[in-house]
Amino acid sequence: MNLLWDNGLFLLKGAYYTLLITVVAMFFGLLIGIVVALARLKGNLPVRWLARAYVSVVRGTPAFVQILIVYYGLVDYGITLGPLTAAYVALSINVGAYLSETFRGAILAIPKGQTEAAYATGMTPWQALRRIIFPQAARVAIAPMGNTFIGMLKETSLVSVITVTELLRSAQLLVAQYYVYMPFYLGVAAMYWVMSTLFSAILEAIEKRLSKVY
Amino acid sequence: MMIQTNGLSKSFGGTEVLKTIDLQVAAKEIVVLLGPSGSGKSTLLRCLNGLEELSGGSVEVNGVRVASDMPARKKSAGFREIRRNAGMVFQQFNLYPHKTALGNVIESLLTVKKLPRAEAERIGYRLLERVGLAAKKDEYPSRLSGGQQQRVAIARALAMEPSVMLFDEPTSALDPELVGEVLEVMRQLAQEGMTMVVVTHEMKFARQVANRVVFMDGGIIVEEQEPESFFRSPESDRARKFLNQLSEH
Ligand SMILES: Nc1ncnc2c1ncn2[C@@H]1O[C@H](COP(=O)(O)OP(=O)(O)O)[C@@H](O)[C@H]1O
Ligand SMILES: [Mg+2]
Repeated sequence: MNLLWDNGLFLLKGAYYTLLITVVAMFFGLLIGIVVALARLKGNLPVRWLARAYVSVVRGTPAFVQILIVYYGLVDYGITLGPLTAAYVALSINVGAYLSETFRGAILAIPKGQTEAAYATGMTPWQALRRIIFPQAARVAIAPMGNTFIGMLKETSLVSVITVTELLRSAQLLVAQYYVYMPFYLGVAAMYWVMSTLFSAILEAIEKRLSKVY
Repeated sequence: MMIQTNGLSKSFGGTEVLKTIDLQVAAKEIVVLLGPSGSGKSTLLRCLNGLEELSGGSVEVNGVRVASDMPARKKSAGFREIRRNAGMVFQQFNLYPHKTALGNVIESLLTVKKLPRAEAERIGYRLLERVGLAAKKDEYPSRLSGGQQQRVAIARALAMEPSVMLFDEPTSALDPELVGEVLEVMRQLAQEGMTMVVVTHEMKFARQVANRVVFMDGGIIVEEQEPESFFRSPESDRARKFLNQLSEH
């Protein structure tokens, strides 16, 4: 236990990176997700096909392999990314595919009559999307998005393998230094759990507030 | 003519749902579209403002003409202009659930006409007054009755100051006791000189308010008459059969 306290700051720094990677990957994943969802719904045939291929490949391969490809594989083509950058890139691409499915489903869940009502008052397709469809789809998407966020929080542990000192790798480094496993692994498990639970609670509060609005 | 279609046709897949429709509606005229279910009434209405793509022929509303053989870009621009001029009211209301009654009414004023919010709200409030719902301006649709929702939907369509209003079975989704309040608003509109095309099964409304009844069956206009003579002595067998079936209920 003392070992944990002594190295608390070091572990907290790891937790900070875990959070940072999660937030950054979610942010870019969100942008990718929106663009890909729209590409699949509104794009012409090649664009739709490309978007579908992206989603299929990302969802059909392990995130672990994707991280290795971005960090080690790209070097073969002269693209050398720092570990943290590689983590951002790989995880953004990964989560973007899942979020695009969430957004696509959410947009499709809005009845066609909503778009027609918007068109009937003279709105352009883009205006109808922005003012009428997106706000309603966002509410549908918020719960699955939150689950993706919490999933990503745990998934970030994978980037320990490319020497990003996030929470898990912080523990591994301490293990290597002190030759004891359990306190550190249990410690980081607890920290993951606290973060996940905290975000679940925040998410629940957001959902509750949103459901009160209309 | 406020509305004019020439040889308008519409197919879904291989089936022709509208077959060379020639419909004319004069300014301030109230036309009621009658016909059995599946005869193409909704499709015709939706072709008038481009919610359905035309398969053939042309549509003209308030001087803006769109023909099926125009380039896609020109068609969508034409229909967008028509839609600013033609309000539509749907059977299922289609109110925006995430916006209040007032928010629903002013949405197009903000987004399409780009009016400042204060001005849009002033206009929206007056429209809600007109349909008797000023007190409900801050309510979300989920807290309004069907009749109230439909009246908000009418106010929303009126916000763009349309020269034509298209109604697709506006009272069919309503509980019987709520039908009257919606028809009353429509009657009011008719009296104020709005040009209206109304698909409805409310025969009393057709009799009292319409200038003309257009009877459709199987994607064609079978006959057009003044309501009195249509209900008294329809020319076609199909119309007679339709009216008989209605009176049996
Ligand atoms: N989106 C669509 N796809 C395929 N068929 C349709 C579609 N909309 C309408 N139809 C068909 O067109 C015909 C006319 O429909 P509609 O205009 O809704 O009739 P009405 O409003 O008179 O009941 C019906 O046979 C209907 O099944
Ligand atoms: Mg219909």
